[in-house]
Amino acid sequence: MKERTVIIKENRTSVIVLILAFVLICSLLCLPAYEFTSSIYTKKSGNTFVGDEKYVEVKAEVEAVAEEYRADGIEVTLNESVIERTNSKGKTTSMVTFTLDSSFTRSGWSFLGSGLTSSWLLLGIILCAALSCACALGGIVGSMGDSYNRLDARSASFRSASAYLALIAMLLVPVFFMTNTFALSRQVKLFTSEAMTEGAEEFYALLNAFLFDGTAGDNIASALAGLSFRNTYAAWGVLPCTFAMMLAAVSLRHGTIRQSFMCGLLYAFVIAMCIFILYPYYVMLVTGFRTSAEANDMYFLHIFPTEWHFENLKYIMGRGIPKYLLNSLLIAGGATVIALLCGIPAAYAMARMKFKGRNAFLGFVIMSQMFSPVVLLIGIAQLMSALKLNDSLLGLMLINAAFNQAFAIWLLRGTFVSISAEMEQAAKIDGCNTVQALIKILIPMAAPGIVTTLIFVFINAWNEYTISTILISTATNRPITVGITQFSSFNMIEWQYLFASSLLATIPVVILFMCIEKHLTSGLTAGGVKG
Amino acid sequence: MKKFMALLLALVMVFALSTVAFADDTYTLDVIIAQYGPNTQEWFLGKGMDGSNFVEKFEAANPGIKLNLEVISWNDLKTVADTRIASGQAPDILNLDTFADYANEGLLMPVSEYCPEDLFADFFPSFIDQSVIDGVCYAVPDLASARALFYNTAMFEEVGIEVPTTWAELEDASQAIIDFYNGEVYPWGVDMTTDEGQACFAYYAWGNNGGFVDENGEWAVNSAANVEAVNFITGMVADGFTNPNPATQTRYDLQDMFAAGKLAMIIAPNQLPTYVADKGGEVELATADIPANEGCTSSSVGVMDRIMVFKDEAEADQEARNAAVAAFLKFFYDPENYVGWVSMEGFLPAVDSAVGALVESDPSFEAWLGVLNNAKFYSTAKDGWDTVKQGVIAAEQAVLNGADAQAELDALQATLVK
Amino acid sequence: MNNNTLLKKSYPYLWLLPSIVLMGIFVVFPIIIVFKLAFSEISKAGIAGGFVGLQNFRDAIALPAFKTVMLNTLWWVLSVVILSTVIGFIIAMVLNQKFHGRKIARAIVVFPWATSLVIQASVWNYIIKYEYGNLNNVLLNLGIIKEAVNWRMSYQVEFIWECGVGIFVTIPFVCFCVLSGLQSIDGSLYEAADIDGAGFWSKLFNITIPLVKPSLTVSTVLNIIYVFNSFPIVYTMTKGAPVHKTDTLITYLYMLSFHERQKGPATALSVIGFLILCLCAGIYMVSVLRKEDN
Repeated sequence: MKERTVIIKENRTSVIVLILAFVLICSLLCLPAYEFTSSIYTKKSGNTFVGDEKYVEVKAEVEAVAEEYRADGIEVTLNESVIERTNSKGKTTSMVTFTLDSSFTRSGWSFLGSGLTSSWLLLGIILCAALSCACALGGIVGSMGDSYNRLDARSASFRSASAYLALIAMLLVPVFFMTNTFALSRQVKLFTSEAMTEGAEEFYALLNAFLFDGTAGDNIASALAGLSFRNTYAAWGVLPCTFAMMLAAVSLRHGTIRQSFMCGLLYAFVIAMCIFILYPYYVMLVTGFRTSAEANDMYFLHIFPTEWHFENLKYIMGRGIPKYLLNSLLIAGGATVIALLCGIPAAYAMARMKFKGRNAFLGFVIMSQMFSPVVLLIGIAQLMSALKLNDSLLGLMLINAAFNQAFAIWLLRGTFVSISAEMEQAAKIDGCNTVQALIKILIPMAAPGIVTTLIFVFINAWNEYTISTILISTATNRPITVGITQFSSFNMIEWQYLFASSLLATIPVVILFMCIEKHLTSGLTAGGVKG
Repeated sequence: MKKFMALLLALVMVFALSTVAFADDTYTLDVIIAQYGPNTQEWFLGKGMDGSNFVEKFEAANPGIKLNLEVISWNDLKTVADTRIASGQAPDILNLDTFADYANEGLLMPVSEYCPEDLFADFFPSFIDQSVIDGVCYAVPDLASARALFYNTAMFEEVGIEVPTTWAELEDASQAIIDFYNGEVYPWGVDMTTDEGQACFAYYAWGNNGGFVDENGEWAVNSAANVEAVNFITGMVADGFTNPNPATQTRYDLQDMFAAGKLAMIIAPNQLPTYVADKGGEVELATADIPANEGCTSSSVGVMDRIMVFKDEAEADQEARNAAVAAFLKFFYDPENYVGWVSMEGFLPAVDSAVGALVESDPSFEAWLGVLNNAKFYSTAKDGWDTVKQGVIAAEQAVLNGADAQAELDALQATLVK
Repeated sequence: MNNNTLLKKSYPYLWLLPSIVLMGIFVVFPIIIVFKLAFSEISKAGIAGGFVGLQNFRDAIALPAFKTVMLNTLWWVLSVVILSTVIGFIIAMVLNQKFHGRKIARAIVVFPWATSLVIQASVWNYIIKYEYGNLNNVLLNLGIIKEAVNWRMSYQVEFIWECGVGIFVTIPFVCFCVLSGLQSIDGSLYEAADIDGAGFWSKLFNITIPLVKPSLTVSTVLNIIYVFNSFPIVYTMTKGAPVHKTDTLITYLYMLSFHERQKGPATALSVIGFLILCLCAGIYMVSVLRKEDN
């Protein structure tokens, strides 16, 4: 039990950091947070002239347009760029590009009343941050009463609330940025290209009020056409502030700043790692459910498909994917069983018995891996046709099991060696024979190694490609890796189907892993391990 | 985990038992077909497509013959074919672009031994000529495609330029496009990838009166005209007139760029309009002759794939085998099936009897057949074509990275005449 | 009595038998075929002819791209194995901590492994495209870059990308090997070290690494072999373009064998690769086994 004063003292730093960070966020929002640049008008002169009549003519035309904008109250600057080039035949061409640019900034606070989606997010961030500070204060106040235990519980819940609110505020910041950049530019693009007309009036009115203080009037559509958005550094500064808030709030729960910093770092690392690893899968997901046209649209500004095209899933189902998945499941499952049935006894013998040629066998095992299956294709094809195993799933099971023996034996041997033989000996004294001791004692204790091996063999067999292309000649016997090649043909690559089915092919492996993951950490009792 | 293992074990056993083969007295033909487009596999083996199931139809029409037909993607086709042949499991019928190496090693049956005469007479003679080595024809064409220059008409109007016909005009037009769009549009598409780079070589070498072979039909990859051609196109890349990474940007990338209006001109096969439509592109396009160097004639490029039949010494009844192959060919080239096959992926036919029906369904075919008639083909019938093909691609890529074209092509020529 | 000792002596080999039979048939036989082919004349279609001695090896070494490819292979193996081992080790250490959502994090780490290499390479190819690559799209939208970056500006950069994808897909393998090793460390060792006042680094070097070493050894030796023989990434992303400057030994010999139809030198190259691996992995393995026996 701690004294109240001690608790207050411990928490003081956190609360001060929280409040300081909140104040900093508020002041950062006063700075220009967003920069909008817009090339509202571009005019290119034709070929081959510098400063001649045509130039003057075009320039006058552009000036007139600029005046029109200025009359509407939009600040524009006229820029001109001259490109002069001589081609390999010695002919000189030049051309002038006139652009009317307008660039302006908006502070973070100005979003609040704008009525845009992002204004609600900003409101959320500020509210969460403010509430987090309030809860932290409440946590201190909560421990000021007389009955210590009850108040301590109340204070603890205040602190938790503070931590979670700070976390929410932190996570909302990137969402806010993204809504401003992606969502807004996508909306602008959709409305100005007239791909979407519903609600255009209101949207234009909103933006007119927000960006041009209502001065753009009827010109709003053209003024928006070339708009680009950019977060300024002031806006990015909000992110570290919320991070500091979160750290401070978490430290209210966990005691020392150092501990909570390490904890925050751990989570930050894990989250960053997960985002990085999942990035290609995000790409597969969004491409897999786009239409054919959108999958190849090189100007897509949107981060998600305009419309989730789930027909793709139905389509690939009709192209035999379920059958291929089943084949893969059988091949990988069979290979895993065979590899373990052969590998466990071998590894056991290597770990527990002394005999001549033990190291030679280990060397042989590793040597057998040194040729890539790609190199061995001809031999494998000859062998399988001699054994009448070509075009059969059993053949692929055996091949995959054989090619993964090295890993199975090596890893299992390592695991078995690291487990002390004492318990097996005890079991043997109790009347078990070697096989029983292996199954009852060693295998449960070696579960992490066995599970790793299982996953390894399963995944390798699941992903095997080259040998299957050679051996399997009946379309319905193909594993999924070969089956999806039907989407990349001579005429075109159907990215959306390719990625949708690849994603589908990843799921069974992940499910299998989730099912057996708990064995990765089980089985070992203290003292059963050789130090 | 135990349950899981038990389940897997049970599945393994079931499968081990179910793989026992059944013998019967029908004749089985092993056929390997290349995956041309998204519909190829469905057309042969699938269900529910309008082309229906070729194999089923064939087996219904020819009760004594069973088809073991595989559709294999182009990426793996050569690997599968070579490995099966090397391990003594050559297919009966193979669909591939090249045939000369197999023919020279005596693996292929002459066409005259299995092809019915009336069918043989139906093939375009200029196509058949491409598959003849020392007076013996070893393969029949299954389809063809022709390449021409496609350009974005709207873009040309906007910039105010004419379609280039010579290399000099091409450079000027490229310059104009670059200037007009501030470099946001690539004027000219180049594909020098390891898959298709030989086509790039052919476009410019043929457009400069050069080529893979000289007038005597001997390899002549290092001719002055070829060196100039390679220098020209790598010069275009260096000038920034083309897509930025020609060595790794495939034809799919280029066609996508064209469909999105990011590329003004591209040399592409006749299926491009369909491709663009499939990808949702809304560009207006038109075709023209491939630009040639000044004083040289432009020639279009034809690409043709083949069907070849492997010898099978172990087969006791060669007659029955030949009859089965003939039945397959007859059924395949029957206009009722063949028209569907060719038009399904937008290729051009190889037999006369299909022309009428195709032109009826799509009048643009006629123009393309005209193009095809004047097209030049790769020297696929000549020994060493694979070396030449990969050699010119390597040479182009090397020049792209600063090597000397003359030296590279000389080195290639030296390996050929050795 | 005599019978009994024979049985006893052969007893351990009985345990090895299934494994030996499996590998003997399905791995050793194809390897013998490769060795036979390497010393035979091979036609363009792949039909084996008579014995030609070392001719194929001489042809292979004389290939113009031989040196480039060997150097590339060296860089490829070194960078992928070392970096994936280091990163995989760190991730395994993190995943061994207790935290909320660990189960999910572990499942996510399996992802790169659970997708076949061809697809993985295709996706990255799609991501780093210049014109409509997803990476450019995302970075532009986040305002991190102002205009699209040509992520494949030169072959050196492309090779770095290939190595990067190689590392990306190899990390889970290392990570789970190390994780299974970490599981077998007794927690009481750390408690004892804490009492002695040992810091993080001293615990890492004095307890963790020595005890994880067996599984780390396995993963490294096998990793060297797998990475050396890895084929789909390079083949899908560049096919060795330009002129084999991004090829590794295995993709080069594949191109040589099936695209250029020089099957003799290609087979010889595969044997050369085998010998190199034997040398590297062999030395490593022997030294490790010696230490273990001591």
